[in-house]
Amino acid sequence: MQLLRESSRHSGNDIDFNAILGETDGDVGIPHADILVEFTEAVWGDDDTRLMTARKEIVGVMGEDALVDASGITATFNAIDRVADLTGIPLEDSKAEDTADLREELGINVFETGNA
Amino acid sequence: MATIVNELSYGDAPVKIRADLAGAHARAWRRLAEPGVWFDGATRVAIAAETRNAASCKLCAERKDALSPYNVPGEHDSLGDLPDGALETIHRIATDPGRLMQSWVHGLLDDGGMSDAEYVETGGVVVTIIAIDTFARSVGIEPPALPNPVAGEPSRVRPAGAKLTGAWVPWVAPEDRTQTEIDQGLYGEGGPFIAHIRRALSLVPAEAIGFFDLVENQYLPGREMRNFGEEYRAITHSQIELIAGRISALNQCLY
Repeated sequence: MQLLRESSRHSGNDIDFNAILGETDGDVGIPHADILVEFTEAVWGDDDTRLMTARKEIVGVMGEDALVDASGITATFNAIDRVADLTGIPLEDSKAEDTADLREELGINVFETGNA
Repeated sequence: MATIVNELSYGDAPVKIRADLAGAHARAWRRLAEPGVWFDGATRVAIAAETRNAASCKLCAERKDALSPYNVPGEHDSLGDLPDGALETIHRIATDPGRLMQSWVHGLLDDGGMSDAEYVETGGVVVTIIAIDTFARSVGIEPPALPNPVAGEPSRVRPAGAKLTGAWVPWVAPEDRTQTEIDQGLYGEGGPFIAHIRRALSLVPAEAIGFFDLVENQYLPGREMRNFGEEYRAITHSQIELIAGRISALNQCLY
């Protein structure tokens, strides 16, 4: 989330961060956000037909290389999230400060690791 | 001398896979089958097989639907090759990672079934096979058949500088690395600030190094990750971070 914000600052695009919650109606400030979110959700879920359609959409609109690179990201984060969860690493102070408002606004502080 | 019997290749994939990404997967695949630090190759491949098997475990499905997974007792549907502590570790990481708790980890370790380093190596194997299988599902190919284990003994070397300072398991701070660990590439070219996620698996340095070899080739190396002035992939930084954020939200991962 911190890197999404930094890329937004760099590009000057006003990004609607609700997109990471799956809300991609209207212009969220990221090209093809709706296609990429649909693909990500389809990978994470278990509906193979939905995933096949999502893959075709990426390839048709963005090209095969985009499918491969998007697949690299789903693979990375489906695994790296588990690394964070299994080891209980804390969020770095700088990241926590930089994203406090966003986490609050999006209501995702409930995902905090289980230090109990 | 032990030989590699199965090489992972994407030559038949329906789309062209970048050579650097395919190379990282091939290295991960080889590492999966080789003796690790605490487990031999057969155990590591058994952990990978059990990770796949967890997707059809009835107990995991019941726990996933429960308000708290800790109130649902039972036995995992398993392939029968690993002890109970390993099964619980693998199945929970694979199927319900967002609700793991420190007390659960300490319970596994206190039961005497596994050491903290064995727990970390188990986790390292689980996330490696999940990364490779998620990539296969994403791009539209079958998950590869697991490799045959490579014979040999685990090295059983615990990092001298590992300390319990921030996470649920000890990690190696950059300043506590030995020259050997630096030479092996623990934290790569990273400067004095090493993100917690890079330290997370460092109680078993080979897992931390191997996993981030995957990450840098699937995602981006650290320097490129923060160079917003240049694009390195067929999708932009903001598109990459959108996918990352969405999947982390689905996994209920704040980090």
